Amino acid sequence: MHLVSYEFGAFLVILVALYYVLPGRFQWAVLLAFSYLFYIRGGVIYLLYPLITTASTWFLARAMGDRTLRFRAWVKEKKPGREEKTACNRRVKAGQRRLLVLGLVLNFGILAVLKYFRFFLETIGALAGLGGGEGVWAWGDWILPLGISYYTFQSMGYLIDVYYCKYEPEKNPARFALFVSFFPQMVAGPISRFDQMREELYKPHRFQMENIILGARRMLWGYFKKLVVADRLGPAVAVIIRSPETYDGIYVLLGMIGYAIWMYADFAGGMDIVLGTAKLFGVLLPENFDRPFASKSLGEFWRRWHMTLMLWLREYIFFPVSTSRLAKRMSKLASKVMGKKAAGKVPVYIATLTVWFVAGIWHGASWNFIAWGLANGVVLLVSQEMAGGYRRFHAIFPFGKTRAYEIFQVIRTFLMFAFLEMFEYYPFATVFAMGKSLLTSWSAGQLFDGRAEALGLSPADLGVLALGVALMVRSGFRKAEEAEEGTKRRSFFARYIEVFGLFVLVVVTGVYGRGYDASQFIYNQF
Amino acid sequence: MNVRKILKISAVALASATVLWALQRLLVPKYMGKVVEGALIREYYEEKSPHDVIILGDCEVYENLSPVVLWREFGIASYIRGSAQQLIAQSYYLLEDTLRHESPKAVILSVSAMQQYKQDNETYNRMTLDGMKWSPSKVGAIRATMMEDEHMTEYVFPLLRFHSRWRELEADDFRYFWEKRKVSHNGYYMRADVRPAGEFPAERRRSSYAFDERAWQYLDKIRTLCRERGITLILMKAPSLYPAWYPQWDQQIRDYAGEHGLLYINCIEKSGDIGIDFSWDTYDGGLHMNVYGAEKMSRYLGDILLDVPGVKDQRQEAGEGAMAAEWEEKCRFYDEMKAAQEQEFEDKGYLSQFAQ
Repeated sequence: MHLVSYEFGAFLVILVALYYVLPGRFQWAVLLAFSYLFYIRGGVIYLLYPLITTASTWFLARAMGDRTLRFRAWVKEKKPGREEKTACNRRVKAGQRRLLVLGLVLNFGILAVLKYFRFFLETIGALAGLGGGEGVWAWGDWILPLGISYYTFQSMGYLIDVYYCKYEPEKNPARFALFVSFFPQMVAGPISRFDQMREELYKPHRFQMENIILGARRMLWGYFKKLVVADRLGPAVAVIIRSPETYDGIYVLLGMIGYAIWMYADFAGGMDIVLGTAKLFGVLLPENFDRPFASKSLGEFWRRWHMTLMLWLREYIFFPVSTSRLAKRMSKLASKVMGKKAAGKVPVYIATLTVWFVAGIWHGASWNFIAWGLANGVVLLVSQEMAGGYRRFHAIFPFGKTRAYEIFQVIRTFLMFAFLEMFEYYPFATVFAMGKSLLTSWSAGQLFDGRAEALGLSPADLGVLALGVALMVRSGFRKAEEAEEGTKRRSFFARYIEVFGLFVLVVVTGVYGRGYDASQFIYNQF
Repeated sequence: MNVRKILKISAVALASATVLWALQRLLVPKYMGKVVEGALIREYYEEKSPHDVIILGDCEVYENLSPVVLWREFGIASYIRGSAQQLIAQSYYLLEDTLRHESPKAVILSVSAMQQYKQDNETYNRMTLDGMKWSPSKVGAIRATMMEDEHMTEYVFPLLRFHSRWRELEADDFRYFWEKRKVSHNGYYMRADVRPAGEFPAERRRSSYAFDERAWQYLDKIRTLCRERGITLILMKAPSLYPAWYPQWDQQIRDYAGEHGLLYINCIEKSGDIGIDFSWDTYDGGLHMNVYGAEKMSRYLGDILLDVPGVKDQRQEAGEGAMAAEWEEKCRFYDEMKAAQEQEFEDKGYLSQFAQ
């Protein structure tokens, strides 16, 4: 089922009614049933993989939890000595590690086969010089369940947390199934932690008009971003980025900016719909964006964009990798060659590049995404290295705190993000050629040489886009919670005018309906 | 919930509904300019007096028959419930819808719709279905003929279908916001321009000449409904030169009519008897009749219709009453439009309303 469909509207109305009519203790079960219904609308086969992930993760986490409980009971009963206790704990941990590895291999294995098998075959084929034309490796394609990367990462985060005893594993498999499959977040995140979601999903929720109004408002903002901005801008951007030979010079800049806005409107719009939908049920999901385009550096940007993925990568990749034996060994080696100062940086370098490699390949099975991820990693490391120099520079020339410089930083960060996105849509070598073209063959006259007409944007579309971007910018510099608080403080009629006005704007100027093939959210594909 | 809160919510609901209604009214096509076919189905509901003859079908009826001539020369009260590319399933539901309002004595059905069961152009669906008043018949018609990428929701709320027209709004959209002008003459779409018949591509051979089974089912449903309501069903093929009406198709309809005791009039064969002159009686090179051809067709059918049980010359009965006044007004409107079109065609050589 598509989040932008009449069917989804009807689905929500029925579910909300049922959810609040039934006693609170059944609410989570209704959500689970409807989540599965939502998912199998695409085909029953799609449910198979989330079910495997749910069952295996629940079982392995339970097995790990049982071992911990047995160990604790043994300690309580036998009151062993320190050495005996440590030895037993080591044995328990070793057993739990085997279970953890089994779970990780199985679930990341499914993800790898379904999502990356063809890419792997193509790469091996290319390296072995097997070549082959279009479609040779098509047999490596598998049915890819919607949102597989999201629910796999979320489930594996749970398994790792249970391994590290951050919380007790869930006893009820059906309740755990809801954590994996809660329909608003299953297809595009946010990637949540079990300890955050447990309360939200399982506690009874009383009907509150406030939740309905705030949820609907958030959803409308999402539809606005998606239907009015992203789906209007997307086709024009696609024309530019798919024809670098035609659209060079100033169009490279337009493509960069357009792609960044499109990506944000699509993804943040989708998140607004997801969070707004969850809010209708009184469920608070974690935010995925915190005004990313107000960031003053790329590092800050990535702490504000797709926050739940970045948090996951930091917790489950960065920290384990930076403290791994390999990192320590490399650090020791670097210490001998380059000295202690450099050695201290080696684990950070290894972990950062690993994180960005995973972030890249998580976004898609292609070298473009890997190049994009590594490019981000390199820029972040370079920025980190230059931080000291910056500090010294600003100590001498103290204009760093001025408003103008802050604006400069925000624009610089936006352009850096937009430039790095080019690695996603242009072949690696083309990125630099297009960058050069932007700097050397740029002219405003190119906008009037006929190429702009092929983008398919009428003056009316441009007007709506300008309005849409202006509204997004206005709302984009406010925290979501602040916006909600603002809405709560307004009078009944002011709230009505905001929500109804937004609804009318979406209904009239949205790009949807017949003749329009409802495009998937970009982030659904990840 | 206190009274104040109820009042507030009611006011908000009313205001929202009003704004959405107004937006929808503004954005849906008005069909008052070059394309008026979309207004034909809706106009039926403005009729005051009943009709003895109802005519169903596609452009082969609404461009080829003149109810005004049937009234003026034969005293037959008739109405054409025709629409562009009307499918046989839509004809059935339009008949069902019509029978909710009146009990005609005869139904003329254009059989050209038998050749195409599924709709291939959404615009035609909208022109037929949007004009129908909401009833189980309309729901049935939508469900039976909706294209794969159409949604019932967009029929219930046409705003969702036509929302993007905000950028192509014209003066007509505001002019006809409240009330639309009449464009047809009891469902007849008048054209008084002339374009003689020309060359047409040769008939293409088909792999199968069998009509779709579902088209037969709807033809059966129409026949059964007419029989149950004591209505005489007449099958008709208009005298169009193109697209081809294959002998194999003709034979199937002939056999069906023979089997069920129905009258089938193939006007292509009868065009000599009717007096059709394809160098004068068509406005688009032989595809459709102009007003002169339609009047000839109506004169030909008038005599046949008077033989149908229950269909009679009502002019005497109407006397000076409301029905007579109504028809007098219709005749005046018809004559004025015909004269105006004739004059314009004589002056300019084309009719500006329908020019590209």
